[in-house]
Amino acid sequence: MIGNITLGQYIPGESVLHRLDPRSKIIWTALLMVAVFMINTWQEYVVMGAFIAILLIISGIPVKQSLKGLKPLLLILAITAVLNIFFVRGTPLAKLGPVAITYEGIISAVMLFLRLVMLVVAASLMTLTTTPMAMTDGIERMMKPLERIGVPAHEIAMMMSIALRFIPTLMEETERIMKAQASRGADFDTGNLLKRVKSFIPVLVPLFVSAFKRADELAEAMESRCYRGSKGRTRLKQIRFTMLDLKASLAGVLFLILLFGQRFWM
Amino acid sequence: MIEFKDVCFEYRSQSADQPATRAINGITEYIGEGEFVVVLGRNGSGKSTMARLMNALLLPTRGTVWVEGMDTSKDEMVWEIRKTLGMVFQNPDNQIVATTVEEDLAFGPENLGLVPAEIRRRIDEAARYVGMEGHMRHSPHMLSGGQKQRVAIAGILAMEPKCIVLDESTSMLDPKGRKEVLNLVRTLNRDRKITIILITHHMEEAVDADRVMVMDNGRIVMKGTPREIFTRTEELKKAGLSVPRVTQLIHRLKSKGLALSGTALTVDEAEESLKGVLCKGEKRGTLDDTSESGENGEVIVRIRDLTHIYMPGTTFEKKALDNVSMDIMRGEILGIIGHTGSGKSTLVQHLNGLLKPTSGSVEVDGLECGKKTLKELRQKVGLIFQYPEHQLFEETVYKDIIFGPARLGLSEEEIQERVSRVLRILGLSGELLEKSPFELSGGQKRRVAIAGVLAMEPEILVLDEPTAGLDPQGSEEVFSFLTRLNKINGTTILIISHNMDQIAAYCSRVAVLNKGRLEMLDTPKRVFSREERLGELGLDIPEITRLFRNLARSGYPVSGDILTVPEAVREIAGLTAGQEPGKGGMFP
Repeated sequence: MIGNITLGQYIPGESVLHRLDPRSKIIWTALLMVAVFMINTWQEYVVMGAFIAILLIISGIPVKQSLKGLKPLLLILAITAVLNIFFVRGTPLAKLGPVAITYEGIISAVMLFLRLVMLVVAASLMTLTTTPMAMTDGIERMMKPLERIGVPAHEIAMMMSIALRFIPTLMEETERIMKAQASRGADFDTGNLLKRVKSFIPVLVPLFVSAFKRADELAEAMESRCYRGSKGRTRLKQIRFTMLDLKASLAGVLFLILLFGQRFWM
Repeated sequence: MIEFKDVCFEYRSQSADQPATRAINGITEYIGEGEFVVVLGRNGSGKSTMARLMNALLLPTRGTVWVEGMDTSKDEMVWEIRKTLGMVFQNPDNQIVATTVEEDLAFGPENLGLVPAEIRRRIDEAARYVGMEGHMRHSPHMLSGGQKQRVAIAGILAMEPKCIVLDESTSMLDPKGRKEVLNLVRTLNRDRKITIILITHHMEEAVDADRVMVMDNGRIVMKGTPREIFTRTEELKKAGLSVPRVTQLIHRLKSKGLALSGTALTVDEAEESLKGVLCKGEKRGTLDDTSESGENGEVIVRIRDLTHIYMPGTTFEKKALDNVSMDIMRGEILGIIGHTGSGKSTLVQHLNGLLKPTSGSVEVDGLECGKKTLKELRQKVGLIFQYPEHQLFEETVYKDIIFGPARLGLSEEEIQERVSRVLRILGLSGELLEKSPFELSGGQKRRVAIAGVLAMEPEILVLDEPTAGLDPQGSEEVFSFLTRLNKINGTTILIISHNMDQIAAYCSRVAVLNKGRLEMLDTPKRVFSREERLGELGLDIPEITRLFRNLARSGYPVSGDILTVPEAVREIAGLTAGQEPGKGGMFP
């Protein structure tokens, strides 16, 4: 039943963020992420946090959904936070054996935590409002200039979208093959590490064989539908840098100027 | 539209010492505009190669192929040829490129360099035509097989071709999906005058064609209208094909001397034909329903109140099995039928512990299914999934077959003995053992994969669609060794199938599942006598049964519970035996 999981966390909507050119979304997500790493006073944290919160409200994405991306990071987050608490030097608050918990340590742990939350929310704002196809399209268009130095932009984007398309199919297939081999007495759960790794050979070999076969057949199907690379190819959904993108970008620039400008005039 | 002149095609062999294999061996043929041509042939007869030659995916080694006057070997023509002649392939999964239906439909028109507005117009129209307009934003992996093939067809339609070639596009679909695709193709041919070339090994699909070609060994061995072709049953048999059951019946009756007219391609035609020799009247004696219900003997699997819920507590929660209780008897052949998604696969996966009951219990031969009994359970119950050849992985056939037995702690001799026993049952030669499983033909691969499970010597063998994708001859081979296994070793066999003819011919009992519930469990005769209910569940009854039910309804003295051709022959023979000579009596 793995197949039920929808790929790409895209949530359909009509918000400004949904309508933006994927390229502007990619660029602005990157800029925001850099900015998140550059902020260091609590005032800046507040402003940044507020800005991301506003974006979240505009997008209409449920807060819970946008925080989902945090889950897999929680463990790493907890470890780094703990390390920060113990290893940042400063005014000791309490002593635990040889190590001391410091005031600065707690502050930096909290800041790190907030930073990561902002990063995840900013990134998921992009993935939640952009379809995987639009995303690969955007990447393709952005890499276009690199084609002159021999980067196969179209091919890379095409591969990415095909990968997205086939992930659920291959996951289903893996499940099926594992069940089939288990029915023949394969055992995936016991034994030491080496034995377990080895036990996956009966799954991996058929999986690869089938993946190659799929690749072959897909290539044939694409060819017979007149595919011949990016040459002469148009798109159903053209991505265009519109007035909306211009306005959004201006707002973004303004925000960054305010955020970091105050360092000089305050 | 399409012209073949003296075409040969050879696949280059992988190693130097092997000769090239000749897939097409001198074909000269013409297909006219607007024709509906069905190309029949067993696996490996060269029919798929022929399709690829039409689309310039392959180029002839000798001879020429023209599509609308364009030579496929001319590079500059390829583009135009593929625009004119679209192709739909066998595996629905492997021809969908994009992550949404809409984007996939657009793929072809995009490659043609059309402007976005035109692409939009074409894909909307194509989607409406195939009835997928409500699924535009869906991800393809959420669709059924039939829907996926309809998307593939719409993707071709959006390129506005004059001809569509379907290369075994129905072979991986369930009966419903197959019907969807066939109906669509027929309408396309009738309303839009699109030339259709349908490649298949199901004779039933050829009934409506303008013309049928039968291929074997890379040659066209027969051609003509379906009616002409279907009378030549002997030749068809030689080409590894079989005619629909009703055609078989009429043919057999004729060869026994009954004066029947013409050939029957459909149930209706067979009915008309039989009405000519039968007299109306009361059925002599009442319908003898003394056939045993099969519920005597020793219970081998006891299923009680079995419920299975997938992904409980999530939005994807799905109740796949709902309070199923049933007993499976030792030594029986039980057929399991039901619509796709009715819970058949879920049910059988409980038998060897691949799935755990959400509630209820499963007991196999006295073993309660659970963690501790898992190993023993998997030895007792051999489960063979759909397309089992996809699980082959070893370097040699021998190693692959002993994968399971080697884990049972058996001695070397015992293992070897088992392998040779299995080979005998499956009718495989010992020479195969040292070959790589990937070199074998489709039918051989399937049998080797089954051998791997049989070598575990299970007491219960469960097969999910064992003949899917096999041609008639291959299917027959599978069933002949299954019956052998059942008779000689007394193995209990469970078969999941959509093919009602197979179920009727080989099973002693049939279980019908619907929406996770056990709807019926009885002898094939009794199950298939409930035609209306089965129809509501989206299930067919065997063709022969339908024929006899129709006859009985029209007032002819036949029993309505005839399941197979031999039974039918006996029934008709019994009825016509007493008739006056000259009226078509069979046994003077």
